[in-house]
Amino acid sequence: MTLRLGRHTFPDDATLMMAIVNRTPDSFYDRGATWAEDRAFDRVAEVVDEGAEIVDIGGVKAGQGPVVDVEEEQRRVVAFVRRVRAAHPGVVISVDTWRAEVARAVCEEGADLLNDAWGGYDPRLAEVAASYGAALVCTHTGGMTPRSAPHRVAYDDVVDAAVRATVAEAERAVALGVDRASVLVDPAHDFGKTTFHSLELTRRLCELTATGWPVLVSLSNKDFVGETLDVPVGERLVGTLAVTALCAQAGARVYRVHDVVPTRQVVDMVRSVTGHRPPARAVRGLA
Amino acid sequence: MSDLALVPSTPLLLPEHGSLVDPVPQVRAAARRAVAWLVTRSAGPVLVLSADPLGARVGRALLVAAGWSGPVDELVATASDADPERLPDTVLAVADGTACRGPDAPGGLDPRAAGFDGGVERALREGDPGALAGLDPALAGELLCAGAPVLRLVGRVLGPPASARLDLAEHPFGVRYWVARWEGAGAAGRMPTTARG
Repeated sequence: MTLRLGRHTFPDDATLMMAIVNRTPDSFYDRGATWAEDRAFDRVAEVVDEGAEIVDIGGVKAGQGPVVDVEEEQRRVVAFVRRVRAAHPGVVISVDTWRAEVARAVCEEGADLLNDAWGGYDPRLAEVAASYGAALVCTHTGGMTPRSAPHRVAYDDVVDAAVRATVAEAERAVALGVDRASVLVDPAHDFGKTTFHSLELTRRLCELTATGWPVLVSLSNKDFVGETLDVPVGERLVGTLAVTALCAQAGARVYRVHDVVPTRQVVDMVRSVTGHRPPARAVRGLA
Repeated sequence: MSDLALVPSTPLLLPEHGSLVDPVPQVRAAARRAVAWLVTRSAGPVLVLSADPLGARVGRALLVAAGWSGPVDELVATASDADPERLPDTVLAVADGTACRGPDAPGGLDPRAAGFDGGVERALREGDPGALAGLDPALAGELLCAGAPVLRLVGRVLGPPASARLDLAEHPFGVRYWVARWEGAGAAGRMPTTARG
């Protein structure tokens, strides 16, 4: 299905890199590396240069930490979105937020995509997407409160739960007026899930792609990779790329990443193996 | 009277071998133009004349790309076969030159290759079937000129054309590729009388 992400459209065979740009002092992976606005701005230029089609700007760390209220989140992201919009008209601007107030403010500044990483916690987010013609990521968190950590979460069938929740939220968004071509679903590895749940989601991702909704996966350096390989943050790239390959084989369309270039290579390689992408330039044995 | 288009036999021209970046854009464009020219002049069947089944596939693919929906006949030219009595009016010959045009060529660099290919190119440009018929099969074999049986057959069964042109001659990967057109060639031994236009 053709993807329409705000002012940008992509053909139905395109895979997209969504580069993470944190405007936070405390995110787990970069530990505030782009907390200063100029550093975050430089990071946008860097990932765009590396070929990212989407930047995902976040003002609140997903994990537990100091309270960030609406006003503080807006201070972190709204003016920054305006600056990125002006400097990079060709990039899709996504904002990672669960709050409708923040979503409305960034859409006013030209955001194309709302990454509702907390699974419709604020049901008005879809209404904001509809009213601004923005795209929406519908995620499965199992009903978690934003920024809470999972504790003894259990599902009869985590994949079935993720499929049902994301498809229901996608249909609700469409009913509210979001363009059907502007909805992504994300099973949300680690969010409201144990490592075993995230491994099963990866193993059975094809059940989510089979719904026909374009699938976003956010795997990069996550704890389920770290726990599986017993490696700390900073040593999870290989594990991240391994699960990326499996998700690419299952047909995921959008990859939320810290490392654009290696992820793009893995996805391109897998898509060429599966016959969805021609080689860049193949002449071996064909002259 | 026969019209002839000559195109390379490289499987890089097959759609199933497409890359994101075309390794042979000029070769492909020239081959497509020549085949498009050929089919606009054709009323009857097109004969794909090749040295092997892969070359025949290349010829058929180019005809499909040109929108040809009429009948297609195939003839694989070998050194030992007897010549057909005559060729149809429209011939798509699929043949390459030597494969020894550089150190990375399939056959490596052979200093004799440029001269051999140059002789073919002169014959194609000037419409000289006798020169094609006289290509040395032993030398052609040593230089991995897979298209030699096709060229020799063309030279034996076609007479001189009313006009001839060589659109392209290059060897991006060490194999010599040609795109050429002959218009209004009579049967061997007879001069062309009229050129259709």
